[in-house]
Amino acid sequence: MEATVTQGNTGAQSAADAPALIVAKNLTKRFGDFTAVDGIDVEVRRGEAFGFLGPNGAGKSSTMRMIGCVAPVTSGTLRSLGLDPATDGPRIRARLGVVPQQDTLDLELTVRENLFVYGRYFGISRAALRPKVAELIEFAQLTERADALVEPLSGGMKRRLTIARSLINDPEILLLDEPTTGLDPQARHVLWDRLYRLKHRGVTLVLTTHYMDEAEQLCDRLVVMDGGRIVAEGSPQQLIAEHSSREVAELRFAPGENAAAEAGVLAALHGVPARVEALPDRLLLYVDDGEAAVTRVREAGLDPVSSLVRRSTLEDVFLRLTGRSLVD
Amino acid sequence: MSAASAPTGASIWTVVEYQVRLARSFWRSILIVGVATPLLYVLALGVGLGTVVNRNGTGELGVPYLVFVAPAFLTAAALQIGAADASFPLMGGFKWARTFHGMAATPLSPAQICDGQLTWIAIRLFANSAVYLAIMAMFGAARSPWILLAVPIATLTGIAFAAPVAAFVATIEREGNGLNVIFRFVVTPMFLFSGTFYPISQLPQWGQWLAWVSPLWHGTELARDSALGGGLSLLAVLGHLLYLVLWFVVGLQLARWRFRVRLTK
Ligand SMILES: Nc1ncnc2c1ncn2[C@@H]1O[C@H](COP(=O)(O)OP(=O)(O)OP(=O)(O)O)[C@@H](O)[C@H]1O
Ligand SMILES: [Mg+2]
Repeated sequence: MEATVTQGNTGAQSAADAPALIVAKNLTKRFGDFTAVDGIDVEVRRGEAFGFLGPNGAGKSSTMRMIGCVAPVTSGTLRSLGLDPATDGPRIRARLGVVPQQDTLDLELTVRENLFVYGRYFGISRAALRPKVAELIEFAQLTERADALVEPLSGGMKRRLTIARSLINDPEILLLDEPTTGLDPQARHVLWDRLYRLKHRGVTLVLTTHYMDEAEQLCDRLVVMDGGRIVAEGSPQQLIAEHSSREVAELRFAPGENAAAEAGVLAALHGVPARVEALPDRLLLYVDDGEAAVTRVREAGLDPVSSLVRRSTLEDVFLRLTGRSLVD
Repeated sequence: MSAASAPTGASIWTVVEYQVRLARSFWRSILIVGVATPLLYVLALGVGLGTVVNRNGTGELGVPYLVFVAPAFLTAAALQIGAADASFPLMGGFKWARTFHGMAATPLSPAQICDGQLTWIAIRLFANSAVYLAIMAMFGAARSPWILLAVPIATLTGIAFAAPVAAFVATIEREGNGLNVIFRFVVTPMFLFSGTFYPISQLPQWGQWLAWVSPLWHGTELARDSALGGGLSLLAVLGHLLYLVLWFVVGLQLARWRFRVRLTK
């Protein structure tokens, strides 16, 4: 609060006041007349884990590709590591690790060769690569397949290899576009743990994901994109507090009675700050105290077949902000 | 290559190194193609057809048929390998395995990726031409040591054609027939109309025009001249060389441009 504290800037910096590594202002990407990214402002600070959420086609990958300096910016400004991608692309890319949404592994080479070859593109010497590659094979838990061709590996194994490959140059910023899509729960948890450790070592993480639990686990801050624009921004907790309630009570009535029950529920909750959403198969009550709300509903003579009280999650926020229907 | 990429340590040679590694896993097929192709051509056309052609004396050619066609086979093989190596592996890099997109995320620039690929193709062409020549020499196709010059000439011919093919392949977004078009309507006619089997003076006027446009004819003229010794004037030699270099330089610029467009969307 006091000016002296904010200006102090002493000791261990938390991510919150670390310098911004990626700064985008009015960043725009157009393909022909189609605008994929529509003037977004983003700041990612050193050492933080930053997430892009949003429905399919929201513009997440387009944004990631601009940050990764593989797609040119249409308009607006973008600075990565203090450099301009338009003029310093290779120098920025040298310090980035990239996990693209679609794998780009060489299927005709072995696991080890894929890592080795990729490291060479960064100008890393063969001698320095040998131990590094071995370490990353460990990391990807592919030791048994180290000298097998990549082609027949399972989708999840390939994904793990792609992730390991992105670390070959000890990147300062790691860009992960849906890193865990296709991974089994074990691999996903192992990856979270690895990412957590990387972050602890000071690596800045920028990721997209369709798994809200993943975003909640990993991201210090995130933005929700929709139609190329940012529709919300904050920490997972902030977003939940701002756009949802503390708890959600899910009530199921007999088939066909959900809609009819909505009016009754609203009446029962009169005076309680609540939002009610009617889905085809259940009613969702966004309230601070779920149990109390359910009790009031039952006291009002309504009799749901089942009721469930849970904490609000990022998924509730996501669906609220971007809608439940598929718009393509 | 460019100033901006210098401090990152990225180099086209790492792309070549990658290709060498890939080739190591295909060495058998590379070797078989490299040895079997010249054997087949030399036996079927040089020796087989040559027996028929030579029956009436060496006639207008002035030399045994095999000696006449050998340098042309060399350049024609280089052209075909150049076209093939600039086609399917590049389709894989852009579209199938998308490895070029992976490279584009490293300090390598699209132009470096392009240059690395073409450098590798040139190396492969050189090695292949040397093997090709050695095999033909075993069948008595070489008359003078000057035929050794046919190896760099064939390499130049192959890469001069591979560069624009690479540019074209970089533009192919869909599966389609793009590649077949190159082979059916460009490479094969070129092979048939570039003085490979007979001097182009035997062709009608329109056929000679085709030959003049074709880089293969220019390469073949040079290779044949080095093998059979000095029928061409210095001016003609320079003209042929210049034409091939022009194809390469223009093709290279086009290829770098199309690589950049394709890899930075
Ligand atoms: N190269 C391209 N040419 C034309 N349109 C493109 C291109 N790349 C992306 N788009 C369009 O831009 C929009 C945003 O795509 P983008 O891949 O950024 O979405 P996304 O948020 O990553 O979606 P997803 O969650 O499905 O990966 C989409 O409508 C897509 O069709
Ligand atoms: Mg995407």
